[in-house]
Amino acid sequence: MSFPPVIDVHWANFAPEIALLITAAITTLFALFQRDGRSSAWLALVGAVVAGALNVNLFVLHRTSGPGSSFGLRFLADTPGLAFNFVILLGTALAVLISYDYLKRSGLDQPEYYPLILYSATGAMIMAGAGDLITLLLGLEIMSLPVYVLSAWRQGARQSEEAGMKYFLLGAFGSAILVYGAALTYGATGSFVYADIVAALSASGFSAPLLATLGGALVLSGLAFKAAIAPFHQWAPDVYTGAPTSVTTFMSVVVKTAAFAALIRIAATVYPNMEPWLMTTLAVLVGLTLVVGNLAALLQTGVKRMLAYSAVAHAGYLGLAVLAGPAGLRAVVWYVAAYTLMNVGAFAVLMQVSDSNDRGDDLERFAGLGRRRPALAFAMTLFMLSLGGIPPLAGFMGKILVFQAAIASGYVALAVVGILTSVVALVYYFRVITYMYFREPEYEPPQNRSSMAAFAIGVAALGTVLLGLFPGWWYGLMNTSQQFLAKM
Amino acid sequence: MISLFVIVVPAVFAAVLALAGGRRSAAVFFGLGSTLITFVLTWFLPGSAGLSVPWIPGFGVTFTLEPTGAGVVLTLMAALTMIPTVLMAARRVERDPGAFVALLLLMQAGLGGIFLARDLVAFYVFWEITLIPSMLLLGTFGREKRRAAVLKYLVYAIGGSFLMLISILAIKPLSGAASYRFADLMAATHNLPGATQVWLFVGLAIGMSVKLPLWPLHSWLIDFNEQNHPSGAADVAGTLYKVGGFGFFAWAMPLLPVGVERVGPVLLVLAVVTALYGALAAAAQTHMKRLLAYASLSHMGIVGVGIFGLHLAGLNGAIFLLAAQMLSTGAMFLISGMLFERRRSFDLDRYGGLAASAPALAGLSLFVLFTFIGVPGLANFPGEFLSLLGAYQHHPWLAAAATLSVIAAGVYGVNFYQRLYQGEQREATHEIGSIEAFALIPLIAGILWLGLVPATQLDKIQQQSQLIATPSATAQAPAPPVPLTAAVDGVNATAVQALGGSR
Repeated sequence: MSFPPVIDVHWANFAPEIALLITAAITTLFALFQRDGRSSAWLALVGAVVAGALNVNLFVLHRTSGPGSSFGLRFLADTPGLAFNFVILLGTALAVLISYDYLKRSGLDQPEYYPLILYSATGAMIMAGAGDLITLLLGLEIMSLPVYVLSAWRQGARQSEEAGMKYFLLGAFGSAILVYGAALTYGATGSFVYADIVAALSASGFSAPLLATLGGALVLSGLAFKAAIAPFHQWAPDVYTGAPTSVTTFMSVVVKTAAFAALIRIAATVYPNMEPWLMTTLAVLVGLTLVVGNLAALLQTGVKRMLAYSAVAHAGYLGLAVLAGPAGLRAVVWYVAAYTLMNVGAFAVLMQVSDSNDRGDDLERFAGLGRRRPALAFAMTLFMLSLGGIPPLAGFMGKILVFQAAIASGYVALAVVGILTSVVALVYYFRVITYMYFREPEYEPPQNRSSMAAFAIGVAALGTVLLGLFPGWWYGLMNTSQQFLAKM
Repeated sequence: MISLFVIVVPAVFAAVLALAGGRRSAAVFFGLGSTLITFVLTWFLPGSAGLSVPWIPGFGVTFTLEPTGAGVVLTLMAALTMIPTVLMAARRVERDPGAFVALLLLMQAGLGGIFLARDLVAFYVFWEITLIPSMLLLGTFGREKRRAAVLKYLVYAIGGSFLMLISILAIKPLSGAASYRFADLMAATHNLPGATQVWLFVGLAIGMSVKLPLWPLHSWLIDFNEQNHPSGAADVAGTLYKVGGFGFFAWAMPLLPVGVERVGPVLLVLAVVTALYGALAAAAQTHMKRLLAYASLSHMGIVGVGIFGLHLAGLNGAIFLLAAQMLSTGAMFLISGMLFERRRSFDLDRYGGLAASAPALAGLSLFVLFTFIGVPGLANFPGEFLSLLGAYQHHPWLAAAATLSVIAAGVYGVNFYQRLYQGEQREATHEIGSIEAFALIPLIAGILWLGLVPATQLDKIQQQSQLIATPSATAQAPAPPVPLTAAVDGVNATAVQALGGSR
């Protein structure tokens, strides 16, 4: 254990998180005076942009000067963590953009919505930078608590309240397991800091490998819960369906990104030094997630629930790259970026065609969309094709990267499972396209229009295409990020 | 750079057309403009510089285009066939011809990429991109049962190509190649152990067999053609989608010689079955498009026979037949569209005696039909002949069995013509129109050109066939002269001479 003599605080290394937190606080106070959400939404966007700018600054700095950290190695600002921050901020900004008109329309426009989103995003970024298990837990809780509230945002609607309650109870349970795992790991290795845990595990004559691995397994379970990896995914479809769609969007991208940011960091550093059955267990869970997520999505008739299960399935694809450890890091970073763009896009389009009480998300709603709103239908086609992994869109390149990572680390059979389930996935993604272009509508569904959401859909569509056509730049940015554990 | 333009020009025109709205005049103008420009560009492909830029650096994926070998021949023929196809589509599609033509152009862009890409991942990307426009053409413009046909098409195509993707992703890490470029793969994959080569080859073969298609993975093709837009234009686009045979020839076989050696015989048997089954089923059809679909399935079987016969002559012939098929099958589908326009039916029983009122149409149809069934002197013959000849060298009995399909071709060909044009005339029809004539002229010119001077194209194809026939030759090293070349030259000469003798 190596504590530095004085507590070292490098403010600059967590400036993006601080910026977001300050904006969230300002927005909270602002909400006392201005009850219309529009200005709060804009404030939140400004916060995300400022945090993003600070993040760019840090990223450029640490790309050349090596990884940074703070509080010993408890908070890391290395290129992978900062890259995850980009994705989290992107998801947050897009979620805010699609929220305002939707909330207004649904009668849910309360200005407190936006600070809660920002608090949650702050927690997500702390998770991405966490270098020890306590920081991880703090980030997880900061991220989760606002989302519990947001899930139940539609007051009086049983579905939404049930979603919030369910998510809270199960989430608390998941956190408890994580704490227990952290405690066991501490008991075995004498430290919460990843770097020290790794040092203790790999020291000769380490006495408690089973205890440590058990701790690792419980930490994995806690994170798998947030990442919606089967069999810890049970809450996801209900919560995703019950929560207001804008919150679902936020959850499905930001919470998932944070969970995988934390998971890949542990899987790439700590787990390889534990007993091998831990990774084997994870491999089985990933395979299960792929099968369960895709098959269940195939059976859904509601698009929202289909997208919820599709989010579970994508956790499986991300899991493939997590298995590869350090070699899968870049694939995970790449995939969450692609996933954020296409998933936000898909949910945003769904919000334009469903009722304001979130009902009416059945496929029938999409019938004839190709003729009624060609641009919207085209964007949805892009998102569906990308989620299904059709080139040259972002989702395809993401799949290539994760499958390649899995095959290169010897998980060929699992990659085959992934590919076979991708064929299943295409059926349910294509079903949406089929309805939009090949069917005539039987009734006239509502036509919601929102310029902010249209902008978000445009950004997502453009990003999906550009990331697919020019995958190199985002992948190349990660090039120098081989160093994962910041060494003092 | 020309190879890049061959892909970009149709894609840009498609985008412009999509934005310009669905007016018919715009569809004709931009469609013809794009296909004519692309056709001129393809003329300058042979010998032009290739292109290779990193695509995912650190991952070994490049964007590499090389205008060489068989790819150039197929790009050229596809570009030629696209001109009348776009013309007919722009004139005949009732609703939204702009979107239809835009999808055709996208298809053409993808085809250019498939035939010219020399990076395995780039090849796969184009392969999958091309699926989207063909699926949308079928689903948006197809006939009543189009949704079922789309689903079948997708499940077959995507299932196959995803399995292929596993092999593609695995081939670089397993072989330790420097990148996914053909030359780099070629330098590394031959050292893979036999068992690995076999499963990699099987993965590729499943994806490519679906697209070839080989029996029993063919059934999507029949519904695809039956349910597509009655103008026949979408079927032509499907016919140009010759990725199965080309994929085997340009990628799977040169890269994995041991895989070919072990799995090839199985595929050869399947190809023979495909050739016979397609021909016999075609003879039993009364639906014009189903007949054409089964007939082209039979031809694809012969392509398979040529490819898996693993002989230089057969390899040359198979790719030549692919190129010739683009023209002849394309022309047949356009003619079926012209007939449908006259009678609003594909049922052969509702036709008869059309030759009396439309003798020119009948004459042109007969000419195309002769090509289609492999009459010497016309485009299909050298390909068919060389394919069967090549297979005969090592597998005489299988080749002989496949040859029976050529006889059956005579049966369904004559049957087709008689039921349409001869016999009692039920009602008079109008003679071939000027647009229709303009549509058929380039195809007929191409058919004569391929039939009369096959050697030009065969030479280009042969540069690449030698990579398979002599696996020791690496991609960069010039292939040493092989004894078979003499036989092929002799055969080429025979094919040319046959013109004078037989007609």
